[in-house]
Amino acid sequence: MKTLTIQVTVNGEAFCKTVGVNMTLLEFLREELHLTGTKLGCNEGECGACTVLVDGKPVNSCLMLAVEADGAEIFTVEGLAKDGTLHPLQEAFIEAGAVQCGFCTPGMLMSAKALLDKYPKPTAQQIRKELEGNICRCTGYDRIVKAIILASEMNKEG
Amino acid sequence: MLPQFELYRPTNLLEACRLKAQGAVVVAGGTDVYVAMHGGKLRPQALVDIKGIADMQEATYDQNSGLTIGALTTHRTIEEWELVKQKYYALFEGCSQVGSVQIRQRGTIGGNICNGAPSADSVGPLLVFGAECLVVGEKGQRKVPLAGFFTGPKKTILADDELLYKILVPPPAPNSASAYIKYTRRRAMDLALLGVSIYLALDKSRIEELRIAFATAAPTPMRAYQTEAKLRGKDYRSISLADIGKMAAAEANPRSSWRASREFRLRLLEQLVQQAFTTALQRAEGGDL
Ligand SMILES: Cc1cc2nc3c(=O)[nH]c(=O)nc-3n(C[C@H](O)[C@H](O)[C@H](O)COP(=O)(O)OP(=O)(O)OC[C@H]3O[C@@H](n4cnc5c(N)ncnc54)[C@H](O)[C@@H]3O)c2cc1C
Ligand code: FES
Ligand code: FES
Repeated sequence: MKTLTIQVTVNGEAFCKTVGVNMTLLEFLREELHLTGTKLGCNEGECGACTVLVDGKPVNSCLMLAVEADGAEIFTVEGLAKDGTLHPLQEAFIEAGAVQCGFCTPGMLMSAKALLDKYPKPTAQQIRKELEGNICRCTGYDRIVKAIILASEMNKEG
Repeated sequence: MLPQFELYRPTNLLEACRLKAQGAVVVAGGTDVYVAMHGGKLRPQALVDIKGIADMQEATYDQNSGLTIGALTTHRTIEEWELVKQKYYALFEGCSQVGSVQIRQRGTIGGNICNGAPSADSVGPLLVFGAECLVVGEKGQRKVPLAGFFTGPKKTILADDELLYKILVPPPAPNSASAYIKYTRRRAMDLALLGVSIYLALDKSRIEELRIAFATAAPTPMRAYQTEAKLRGKDYRSISLADIGKMAAAEANPRSSWRASREFRLRLLEQLVQQAFTTALQRAEGGDL
């Protein structure tokens, strides 16, 4: 087969689309669904800018076919804010100054979300280990670590 | 966009073998395959995605036979498996250091083995635990020691129709411990410039069993058989650590690459062997892991 019809849920909304089997999940999100929050950095698994959650787990969407997401629940940065209210992680990133150019931020937020689901009260060491797949060229990481600790202290739903 | 290809998604093992025999490239987690395709190094006519084959996902432990790991088991699953931490600590250390969370979430242990890279982080630990590969082809299955699986850089014994189906890892002795030391230039997201795995079983201070494996120290992952044989049965207090390091490094055949020169790797190997040996020793004497 060269095209396939897939059903995916993205940020709670169901989509049914016919796509080429050679389309990556990243291209599907950006080009088919116009969800451009998820970034294309290296296209080879190194940078983490394309990180999204597939059934709650962080993956590089550049290294996954859209058709491999058939039946899955995808969560992207666009799903974080609810009715104009920012997610605690987003609040904390602003508060701690964890964003400079912002290119890594959507991927960082997705990895951070998965991290808080796994460790609701993470240590700085756990944060650095779980975020090893997200590269930031601007902040030097310190403020990102602080932001995630701050978000965990806000003690709301991770 | 990836180059165009035909995609097959069999749920039946023999169907997958047949497609592979016809030239389709096997894809599991895709963390090696899709990178090669994005880079233009691999342009397959057809891909056969094997993730639909259910029993290749299973991973179990039995106290008599040890681990039976389906080839599709991800590094993340191994990393988060408490039993692996308790009994096969070096394997935990290997799998938990592959790439990143995202890579470990998709990348499989079967893909790590079949990709045939000398740097593969799961392979050294599996070698020292004496793992065997269950290989399935159109005509049946065979069991091959992992130590005999690699024939050259990126080359394995798999025939055109064969898939790696499961990996069998015998239970470690109760008086044993293991360690994997991965040397990298940065702390995360880097391939092993060198890797040393050790399995050590002690009877008081006598070395009952010792197995040593290296990553990125030769064209394929390798065991240091001669050093193992020389030390087996000896009192570890009668041998200097420096000698163990020298002996083991003499068995390696690393190459020079942009990551490091052969000379540097050989010197480093001496040190890493000592470090891995001491770590395993401490763990064995500590009675845990
Ligand atoms: C950013 C990044 C970082 C990485 N870091 C590391 C690292 O630190 N350490 C490390 O060891 N690796 C690393 N890798 C390599 C890769 O992630 C691992 O080798 C992984 O285990 C491959 O598994 P996979 O399921 O993704 O394999 P795939 O890409 O699906 O397949 C790999 C190869 O094996 C073949 N294959 C897969 N399964 C089978 C099977 N059951 N039977 C027969 N053939 C099969 C495929 O045809 C292909 O040739 C990294 C990769 C990336 C992109
Ligand atoms: S774009 Fe996917 S990891 Fe860099
Ligand atoms: S803020 Fe610029 S890369 Fe992270």
